[in-house]
Amino acid sequence: MSYSEAFKDHLANPRNVGELPEANAVAEETNPVCGDRLRLSLCIRKGRIEAASFLAYGCPPTLACGSALAEIIEGMSIENAVKLTRREIVNALGGLSSRKQHAAALAIEVLRAAVENWRHSNTD
Amino acid sequence: MRKVYLDHSATTPVDPRVVEAMLPYLTEKFGNASSVHLFGQEARAAVDRARRQLASLIGARANEIVFTSGGTESNNLAIRGICDIAEARGRHLITSAIEHPSVRGTLDFLEKRGWNVTRLPVYDDGLVRFEDVRAAIRPDTVLISVMMANNEIGTIQPVAEIGALVRAERERGRRHLWFHTDAVQAAGRLPINVDALGCDLLSLSAHKIYAPKGTGALFIRRGVRLLPQQVGGHQERERRAGTESVANIVAFGTAAELARREMNKRNEHTQRLRDRFEGEVTKRIDEIRFNGNREQRLPHLSNISFRFIEGEGLLIHLDMQGVAVSTGSACSSGTLEPSPVIRALGRDEELGRGAIRFSFGKDNSAEDVDYVVEVLARAVESLRKLSPLSQRSMTLV
Repeated sequence: MSYSEAFKDHLANPRNVGELPEANAVAEETNPVCGDRLRLSLCIRKGRIEAASFLAYGCPPTLACGSALAEIIEGMSIENAVKLTRREIVNALGGLSSRKQHAAALAIEVLRAAVENWRHSNTD
Repeated sequence: MRKVYLDHSATTPVDPRVVEAMLPYLTEKFGNASSVHLFGQEARAAVDRARRQLASLIGARANEIVFTSGGTESNNLAIRGICDIAEARGRHLITSAIEHPSVRGTLDFLEKRGWNVTRLPVYDDGLVRFEDVRAAIRPDTVLISVMMANNEIGTIQPVAEIGALVRAERERGRRHLWFHTDAVQAAGRLPINVDALGCDLLSLSAHKIYAPKGTGALFIRRGVRLLPQQVGGHQERERRAGTESVANIVAFGTAAELARREMNKRNEHTQRLRDRFEGEVTKRIDEIRFNGNREQRLPHLSNISFRFIEGEGLLIHLDMQGVAVSTGSACSSGTLEPSPVIRALGRDEELGRGAIRFSFGKDNSAEDVDYVVEVLARAVESLRKLSPLSQRSMTLV
């Protein structure tokens, strides 16, 4: 088990932790196999993610992916956010072993679910 | 950064006195213990001395000790060696639900080959019940394998009672029932006397008692026959072929002697540290659960589940602060492999995932404990802030 400096930094100093009180897009996804959870709350204005916050329970890659995700998507347009890939999360963490890629998949899943929820509520 | 090693149940540093004793056998006294010449005789004498030192640690005779490559090989040799001999008498084995993977895996392997295995429960205190052992014995049972002390939670099993039961069965004329105990975690921490325990086979490992990795031993009671699992040499009285690792064996013998002489002192020291640690953790951190019976357990070990967080994340947080501990669960390929030991205690999945083992050693200090408590309290707080489970619980309150 060896992790990159970027990974360890996300773990030691997670970005954007918590729940946004003014969030208008929220989702929580659970990996049904291992039970890892990722909760994302977004503040979307004029088609852009103004603020993003996360909560995570699970193995270190899930925590780090949640942190990387919340950092990457802040300021991003919804159009670009939905195109975000697992690879970009993994790269932001300086790489992840193939056995830990599921954490990045969970991050993408929760992002898409949050955007989907926002579209349904249509509160922009 | 301060470094604190609290993973002595995984492995221990080699004692400098042990290094000193083994070094000549890597340099000028390099002979093969099977050689006839002077170099060989010197090596043979050293191996024999180590054998006596091991025997003395567990109250055995020297010729009842067989050196192996480690605890895993000792467990394999004991179980498969007996099963290969006893197959015609019966194909039923009894074990506990919390054995070390080397015993668990060996029994799983035998089960796939048609053996029947009864795995005894340990209840929420991590202890095998003697009555369950008695009830599990069948006419075709040939081997009971129950560990002396558990490697994750440290619980001490009723091994002497099981040994007495097996002896009573033997006195009633049942000749083909044997008892093996894995004493890898217990050795050097609990007084062991193989006659008092009544075991036929007992496994030991060098690197858990301040000697190098790569050497173990199996006690095989006089008169107990087993089929060697490694053949092609006459070493170890035909019970385990292969040139003896003389320097490692010398180290093991020296470590065994030091463990025997210093056992009380080491235990008092580690227990004092462990109790100080548990006292401080209880004061500083809420929502925790101690795993395993807290009375009947090894003196150096503490296993704690921290609610709302996952063990590996906590382990890495501690590691980043120089503190080494371990967790029994692992998450790989999106599949959670919770610790079978914690699961056997009936803990819910969340508590199972949040279990951490802290195992103290003779060289730890009270300052180490205080440092770890500080780092641990901060890490738990930080991970709980991240956890949706914890946040939800706070909202509910």
